[in-house]
Amino acid sequence: MALLSIKNLHATVGGKEILKGINLELGPGEIHAVMGPNGSGKSTLSYVLAGREGYDVAKGEIVFKDKNLLDLEADERANEGIFLAFQYPVEVPGVVGMTFLREAYNAKLRYSGHKEADAMEFLKFVRSRAKTLNMSDEMLKRAVNVGFSGGEKKRNEILQMAVLEPELAILDETDSGLDIDALKLVSEGVNKLRSENRSMLIITHYQRLLNYIQPDHVHVLAHGKIQRSGGKELALELEANGYAEFSGEAA
Amino acid sequence: MNIQQSSKLPFEELIAESFEGVTGDWHHELCKRGLQNYVDVGWPGAKNESWKYTNLNKLGSHSFSIAKDYSTAIPEDMIIPLDCPRLVLVNGVFNSELSDQKLLPEGIALTPLANLSDYQKTFFDDLRLGKEIKYALPLASLNTAMFSDALVLELAEGTELSSPIHIISIGSGSQITFAPRIVVNVGKGAKLDVIESHVGASSGMYFSNSVVQFNLQDGAKVGHYKLQNESNESFHISLTKVLIKERAFYDNFTISLGGILSRNEIQAHITGSGAECCVNGTYLGAGSQHIDNTTLIEHIAEGSCSREVFKGVLGDRARGVFQGKILVHPDAQKTDGYQMNRAMLLSDQAEINSKPELEIYADDVRCSHGATVGELEEEHIFYLRARGIDRERARRMLIGAYISDAIDEIRNTGIRSSIQGVAENWLKHNLYEKK
Repeated sequence: MALLSIKNLHATVGGKEILKGINLELGPGEIHAVMGPNGSGKSTLSYVLAGREGYDVAKGEIVFKDKNLLDLEADERANEGIFLAFQYPVEVPGVVGMTFLREAYNAKLRYSGHKEADAMEFLKFVRSRAKTLNMSDEMLKRAVNVGFSGGEKKRNEILQMAVLEPELAILDETDSGLDIDALKLVSEGVNKLRSENRSMLIITHYQRLLNYIQPDHVHVLAHGKIQRSGGKELALELEANGYAEFSGEAA
Repeated sequence: MNIQQSSKLPFEELIAESFEGVTGDWHHELCKRGLQNYVDVGWPGAKNESWKYTNLNKLGSHSFSIAKDYSTAIPEDMIIPLDCPRLVLVNGVFNSELSDQKLLPEGIALTPLANLSDYQKTFFDDLRLGKEIKYALPLASLNTAMFSDALVLELAEGTELSSPIHIISIGSGSQITFAPRIVVNVGKGAKLDVIESHVGASSGMYFSNSVVQFNLQDGAKVGHYKLQNESNESFHISLTKVLIKERAFYDNFTISLGGILSRNEIQAHITGSGAECCVNGTYLGAGSQHIDNTTLIEHIAEGSCSREVFKGVLGDRARGVFQGKILVHPDAQKTDGYQMNRAMLLSDQAEINSKPELEIYADDVRCSHGATVGELEEEHIFYLRARGIDRERARRMLIGAYISDAIDEIRNTGIRSSIQGVAENWLKHNLYEKK
């Protein structure tokens, strides 16, 4: 039974069709990489899954844990277990990092009919998770992402993922803007979260992230469709040959 | 030929009536001077630059009477909740039964209007910067013409108070007007925090026209935190006049969220070098509230700095006005001035008029100002929703964060969290749960 099943997905942004019939299945615990040239629709796919307004599904279906995902609001999807690590994490002035995490964590607890977490227990829990990502208490006291470096923002995304423990994590260009040390730190953080109960969809332009986070399956997205699928060796092939093979209009 | 000359100005008849209650030659002369200044400049209209965005026609045409009743109870849920000595004015008159004058710590003196020394009387000298029309203070002159009592506080040289003093002005009654007058003189090197709460005892409509003066002698450190929480239909006009001498430090914050029409005008004059002045605030408006914050920070001496941050949230048909001027005199070299007004509009019909102004006559200064107007950003809302927080909760978190960013300017942490609570309470009742 697939955790996520996407069938013939067509999506438009501002009236323009970007996704033109995506088919994709992710089983529990599987890691899939979606690679493709710029403008192929990779980020659109991640936003459609997360439920961002303005990304309209014209045709097709998305089933997550036996539920029609398209019936759910963005916050309901998050509470069902979908987590989008943003390519460009948003700076939220005035909202303290710790408060943000607690609100998100409690939203999920309330959604599943549990009572909210004890504040002290939660603080300890977050601190232990932050420590593994080399994030200081100071960073948690600051407003979310405000004044953070590119690497700090990405680590903050992975911290949120570590706290919210999603069943499906979508990592949208998590490697972009990271130097090699930051990339290692972030990848280690992600690898610690690998589990048989957690699937991941890694969206990336470059193969280098996949050196650190090894996928089970690789798909090439171009012109709004999955053009090829294969094992992790496909990523290496793309690294060697580039996306030239997929640059023409799809047949 | 001014046709208005033959007819009376708003409140002119009431002034004559209030004169009857005035005792003592000095007070009488003062009232007469106030009346003269008021008559000279007239009721502010659209042609008065300083009042361009705040229309007082409704206030001027309304029929008020002079408040005669000076007893009531303190509306505890309206004021800033802090456990400290209170000094209470009811309809502009000191109420000793509601006040804790016996709890005032050593070094602070409260002098009744009738017993003022000649020195203390000088505090009431002309408030205007000059005789020109642009310096006219019509409503403050009206206060001088009409005030029937004054709260005069003096902190002795070198005295440092750890607990704040809470001055509470209560409007009690309907269709009445009163003119609170407050003077706080802080001696050399003395330290004091003052909280000023303006509230209504009931839902009655009234007009509070206050003048509040702070004099900071050399090296004095003063925190001055004001809550404008008048009853819903009331008018609140105030002038806060601050004199800041050498190396003195003045930290001001105004939170304005009550009344139908309010104006908080602050004039801070830095006359001593090395002084620091913070004039910050937040304004929250809903329904058809009109909130005006007008400030002047005057750098007269060399090497002083000022900082000014205002942030407002306006919903429904609420209207905000921000006029901020930094004036740097030729001798005020090395001035460091910063000013920022940000407003968040939550509805298409909400409005902000923002007028920042720099007037600089010295050449070696650093001054900057800015203003922004925005709405809640969808990008922020989506980020929160992608973490499971629903839209309404995300919206509240973001509005609350916007305001607390301004409230964080308050240096005293206890007062900061009390004011934070007042703001959250207002947002809850006026923007979140009102549908």
